Amino acid sequence: MRASADRCGFRATRHGAIVAPVSEPSITANNDAPRRAPAALARDALGLGLRIAHYGYLFEHWPAVGYFEVISENFMGPALPPRQRLDAVRARYPVVLHGVGLNLLGPDPLDEAYLDALCRLADHVDAPFVTDHLCWTGARGLSHHDLLPAPYVPELVELAAERAAHVQRRLGRPFGLENLSSYVEFRRSTMTEWEFYTSVVRTAGCSFMLDVNNIYVSSQNHGFDPLDYLRAIDFSRVLQVHIAGHTREPDGTLVDTHDHPVVDAVWALYAAAWRMGGPFPTLLEWDERIPPMPDALAELAKARAVRP
Amino acid sequence: MSTRSAPDWLAALQARFGAVLRTPLDRSAGSLRADVSAYDRDALDDALDGPRRPAAERLAVYNRQYWFRLFGVMQTAFPLTARLLGHWQFNHYAARFLLAQPPHAWDLDRAPDGFEQHLDGALDAGAMSDALREASRIDAAWRRLFRAPATAPLRPTADDAARLLDARLVPSPAVAVVVERWPLLELKATLANARGESAVALPPRLADARWWALAREPGGVRHVALEAREGELLTLLGRHTVRDALARLEATCSDAERAALPANAQRWLARGIERGVWCGLTTEPDTGDDQGITQL
Ligand SMILES: [Fe+2]
Repeated sequence: MRASADRCGFRATRHGAIVAPVSEPSITANNDAPRRAPAALARDALGLGLRIAHYGYLFEHWPAVGYFEVISENFMGPALPPRQRLDAVRARYPVVLHGVGLNLLGPDPLDEAYLDALCRLADHVDAPFVTDHLCWTGARGLSHHDLLPAPYVPELVELAAERAAHVQRRLGRPFGLENLSSYVEFRRSTMTEWEFYTSVVRTAGCSFMLDVNNIYVSSQNHGFDPLDYLRAIDFSRVLQVHIAGHTREPDGTLVDTHDHPVVDAVWALYAAAWRMGGPFPTLLEWDERIPPMPDALAELAKARAVRP
Repeated sequence: MSTRSAPDWLAALQARFGAVLRTPLDRSAGSLRADVSAYDRDALDDALDGPRRPAAERLAVYNRQYWFRLFGVMQTAFPLTARLLGHWQFNHYAARFLLAQPPHAWDLDRAPDGFEQHLDGALDAGAMSDALREASRIDAAWRRLFRAPATAPLRPTADDAARLLDARLVPSPAVAVVVERWPLLELKATLANARGESAVALPPRLADARWWALAREPGGVRHVALEAREGELLTLLGRHTVRDALARLEATCSDAERAALPANAQRWLARGIERGVWCGLTTEPDTGDDQGITQL
């Protein structure tokens, strides 16, 4: 995953679309939208991460898309323009929420005011599910605005699981945890990432938000077999699968930039996941160098073609 | 309520990691580079070498991401200021600001809050600095417009009219009053469609300052030209009762302006209401928290 999409593109140059741009396109176009689209997703639905760069095309053409995923924090504040745009989108499509600020593994207790706002937003869009990351994002009152890994140890399984279960209870709807792309491993870890991830989800009774690009990125950066990771996943608990592009640096390090099409190796991993546990809703994330919306949708449509 | 506390060792590790993230990037080579020599030894010991990179270089990925992400957010929040300075120089000021005030809210959009005040103190004297101060305030006003909640405009009742003079008009957060001594709003509009990172030239100073009301509307931000005294009055009204604001304005007027002030003030107040400049009427003193009227 990548942290925020509109808000962060997690890569070196992430942008900050979180901030409302100077001139966002207005919502025009046909007013024949249903009062509200159904909330539920088809199990094999294809969705796209909603980005401000898409608004112009979207609000004119309302293309066929299974659903949109929005970055929760972009819509949790009081600002009116984002909320108006979200409502226009929600009238026509199911919307799922994807957060980047829960700070599940931070040293501070969960922020209940943040959860209040998240719950209100989830209720507002009637989100079929809500997701965030198995990571920490800040400490001791500071927010680092990145999705940061923690050591993989049983003690933190308990901490993360208790907190994730609490979040799911507060939401009153399915809550999924996403696996990170990471660039560092800690000396203190005593478990593999997938042992840690699956233990947290199982203990919490929550769900997986499985990002196959992140599995691939981390597998290349840390030297593990991404299929070992997939084999550990209980696909009956997968809410959604993310696909995305990444950047390869000169020494072979992969960075989760979400600024390219999905590479063949990630499509292959996606196909393997489908074989193991499909169908599942599939979402394309694209956060930097965002192509025109029809191109992003064409990239998303490849998912159907690569499924076994 | 979730009750379990994070272990102390995790907090310590995360404090070390956070310090790595915030380590300033080295500008000395003309590009922004992670300075791994500045990382804390214990933070390096926390991390393992990887198949492609040693631990320090792995941490550097996060260090760069931290700064580049925030620079992007700052540039987006202060686009006019960023282009007048050029991104390289803007990032220098942004880094100093972010070191002094690291982000603390979950909302990344709030990371740039207060940058205009920081820049005001960081810039030296001179026309270019004054233009940059003005640009940063215009950018800040613009941000506030977009962050404003839904707001109902003031529609005064007969009772309101009776108590108007000794009440304070509450500025709408969806309207900002700005003054420009350089044609910066035009430049801002031009730059919105022109990508780039290099510094743009400051246009020639205007013969007379221009006042504007910027009003958020469904299609964007509408610029409404104001008469200079009208702009001054709207600014004063954000801080004082109507009676005090008028007295303060009157004190700065010429004889001719003073003679015309009653009629003009009536007209400016009426069209301010029509334009939704205010969202309420209060007898509470100004707390300085109003987000609406921008005093420049
Ligand atoms: Fe993802």
